[in-house]
Amino acid sequence: MDKRINRRTALRNLLIIAGGAMVLPACYRQSGSATVALNNLDISEADENLLAELVEALIPATDTPGGKELLLHLFVLKMVDDCHSPEDQQAFSAGLNAFAKWAPNELGSSFADADPAKKEALLQSVQDGNAPDESIGKFYGITKRRAIQGYMNSEYVMTNLVKYELVPGRYDGYAKA
Amino acid sequence: MSNITIDSIKERTFDAIVIGSGISGGWAAKELTEKGLKTLVLERGRDVKHVKDYPTTNMYPYEFEHRNEIPLEDRKKNPVINRCYAYHEDSQHFFVKDVDHPYVQQKPFDWIRGYQVGGKSLTWARQTQRWSDFDFEGPARDGFAVDWPIRYRDIAPWYSHVERFAGISGNKDGVAALPDGEFLPGYQLNAVEDHFKQVLGKQYPDRHLISARCAHLSSPQPIHIEQGRVKCQHRTLCQRGCPFGGYFSSNASTLPWAEKTGNLTLRPFSVVHSIIYDEGKGKATGVKVIDANTKEEIDFFAPVIFVNASALNTNLILLNSKSNRFPEGLGNDYGLMGKYVAFHNYSAVISADYEGLLEYKTDGRNPAGGGYIPRFRNLHKQETDFLRGWAAAFGARRGEVRDTGKVGGTLKDQLIKPQLGNWQVHSHMMGETVPRESNYVRLDPDKKDTWEIPQLSISVDYQEDDRKMRQDYFDRMSEMFDAAGFKNISPRNDDRIPGLDIHEMGGVRMGHDPKTSLLNKWNQLHACKNVFVTDGACMTSTATQNPSLTYMALAARAVDYATGELRKGNL
Repeated sequence: MDKRINRRTALRNLLIIAGGAMVLPACYRQSGSATVALNNLDISEADENLLAELVEALIPATDTPGGKELLLHLFVLKMVDDCHSPEDQQAFSAGLNAFAKWAPNELGSSFADADPAKKEALLQSVQDGNAPDESIGKFYGITKRRAIQGYMNSEYVMTNLVKYELVPGRYDGYAKA
Repeated sequence: MSNITIDSIKERTFDAIVIGSGISGGWAAKELTEKGLKTLVLERGRDVKHVKDYPTTNMYPYEFEHRNEIPLEDRKKNPVINRCYAYHEDSQHFFVKDVDHPYVQQKPFDWIRGYQVGGKSLTWARQTQRWSDFDFEGPARDGFAVDWPIRYRDIAPWYSHVERFAGISGNKDGVAALPDGEFLPGYQLNAVEDHFKQVLGKQYPDRHLISARCAHLSSPQPIHIEQGRVKCQHRTLCQRGCPFGGYFSSNASTLPWAEKTGNLTLRPFSVVHSIIYDEGKGKATGVKVIDANTKEEIDFFAPVIFVNASALNTNLILLNSKSNRFPEGLGNDYGLMGKYVAFHNYSAVISADYEGLLEYKTDGRNPAGGGYIPRFRNLHKQETDFLRGWAAAFGARRGEVRDTGKVGGTLKDQLIKPQLGNWQVHSHMMGETVPRESNYVRLDPDKKDTWEIPQLSISVDYQEDDRKMRQDYFDRMSEMFDAAGFKNISPRNDDRIPGLDIHEMGGVRMGHDPKTSLLNKWNQLHACKNVFVTDGACMTSTATQNPSLTYMALAARAVDYATGELRKGNL
C-alpha cells in the first residue's frame, strides 16, 4: 500500500509499529501534528491530545491502565483513517472540532482540566443521545466503538484481563457456567 | 526437489503432469509419485512451504495493524474477495485480489481464488462428507443433467483411502444420506446442539443432527505423524495455515509426501496456457506454460496429464486448448464444455435464542464448528415443488453480554467482567442447485489477462427452484427451532451472489455418452484419453455435501486407473 508522507517525517513513520504506535518524545513533536501517520485525516496535536483525554474519560485508569496509556486515541485515529469511508472521516473531523468548542463551554474549563466526574457526565449525556449536534454524536459513536475495540484487543487486556488463548488445545461443550 | 533447467526436451519431459496444486492436484501428485511416476506439478502462483510460509500463523490479535480488519482502500479495489468470509488481515495473502486477476461477469459471480501452492486447501472450511447414491442417482431420478457414470460403490473405497490419509473426524452416525467413513473421533456437540439433536430424534425420525465431519486430526494416527502432522490444537485460525498440520491441506500433507518419494518436481509461477494436442498421435503430449515472472513460454511433456486447476480455471484451460482437431477446446466436440455449471445455494440463514441449559457454557473452541443436518428433503421421493434438497450447518454458542451504554469506570467493568448471555443458535443452508445449460463459462472473445490468455467470462445465476428451496429451509428450520423451544427465530435472506459458496462445479461433466458429457467414468476426456479432470469441473451434479472430499477420492481413483492404463500401453 502506498502511503503519502504529507507533513510527517520519515522518522515518525519509522516509529509506527504494527498494531499501534510508539509515543514520541516531546522533542519530536514540533510540527503540531498527530503522532500517528495519517493519510486522510487532518489531525493537529491539540486534536490528538483532546482525543487522548476523551478515551481516558471513556475508559479511565483504575488499578489497571486506561485509554490514554493504552494509546486508544491513536488506535481510533488509525482505524478511522484506514478503515472508514470519507463520509465517516469528514463526520469524525467535524465532530471532533465541534466537540472541542462545545465541551469547554459546558464544563467551564478545558476538557483536559475538568473534573473527571463532570467529564463523565458530559460524555454520558452524549451517549444518551443528547449531543448538541449530529456531528458530535457521530464522532462520539465512532470514537467509542473503536476505543472499545482497541481496548478489548490490546495486548494488556488480552494478556491480563480477558485472556486470549492462541492455542486452547481443548473444547468442552458442557463446561459449567 | 530438483531444479529445472530448461535446455532440452528431455529435461522437460516427465511421466505425468498435474496442473494445479490445490486439494485435488495435491492428491493426484501424491498418488502418481507414490506409484513411481516422475511427476511435474504446475502451480500458477508462488510456493507456500508448510509452516515456513505461514507468516501470520502465530500472531496475536493485537499484532495486526487493523486488528484483522481490511482497510477501506482494499475493500473498494477488491469488492469480490472482500465478500469472502475468510478474507481478513490474517489470511489475505492466501487469496487472489480482484485487481490482480480480472474476469468478466456477464452476471454477478463472486469467484474466490487462491493462487499459490496449496491453492484453497490452505483456507478451506474443512467440512468433509461422503456422497451417497441419493446424490449419484439424483440426475437420473429427477431428470436433469445426465446420469452420473459412477455410483457410491465405485467411489466408496477411494473415500476410505483418502479419509485415512487426510484424517477425518466424525462419528459413525448411520445416516443413509451421509455414509459413514474411516473416522477419527468426532468432536463433541455442546449442550444446546445436543438438545437440538435429541428434539429432532424424538419428533422427526427422518431428520438428524450430527457432529460436523471435518478434516482435523482429533486423534492423529501413525500415518499422520509420518506426515509430520500432530493433533489439532483447537486454535480455529486455520485460514492462516496451521503450524501443527492439525487440518488437512496440500501443503501439510500430500505435497510433502509426494516430495519424499523423490518423484516430484514442483514448479511455481507456471501459468498454464493450454494443453498441447498432437494430431498424429491422437492424444495430448504436454502442457504449454507461461512463466508468470519472465513471461517466457515453455512446453512440458508427459504421457498423462491431470487437470486440477480449480473448477472454473480447468474449464478455461481446456477451452483455450485449441487445435485443428479441437477448434472449440480440448475434448469439446459437441459444444458442451463450460456449460452446466452449478454451485451451492447458501442464500439463507436462520438464528434464534435459547433460554434453557444456562448451567452450561463452552470452553475452548470446536474445530468442527458444531453440528450438521444431512439432507432429508426430497430424499426418498419428490415431496416439494422444487427439485433436490438442502443440508444445513447448525451451531450454538453462549455469548458474553457487555452493557456498553455507560461510560467511565462502569463501562470498563462491563468490558472486563461480562455476563454470560443466553444461548444463541445459528444455521445456514447448503442447497443443491441443478446444472443448467444457461449457467456457463466461456472464453471472453476480447479481454486477455497479463499473459495474453483469454479472460474467463462467467454467466451463472440462481433459478426459481433456488428461491423456493430457501423458503422451504426457512419453514422447516423454523418449525424445528420452535419444537426445540428456541425463541426470537429470525430467518434471513443472505442474498449472496453465486460463487461466494466457493463450491462452483461443472462445465466438464462426467457421463456415459461422449455426445452429452466430456469425461467418462474414470474422469478421462472421452475424446482425448490421456487427459484426466478430477477437480470441481468434472461434477455432473452438486449434491449438498461440501465437495472437496469427493474431488480427493475421484483424483486418487483416476490416478489408479491412469497408471494401470499407462502400464498396459493404453494411453
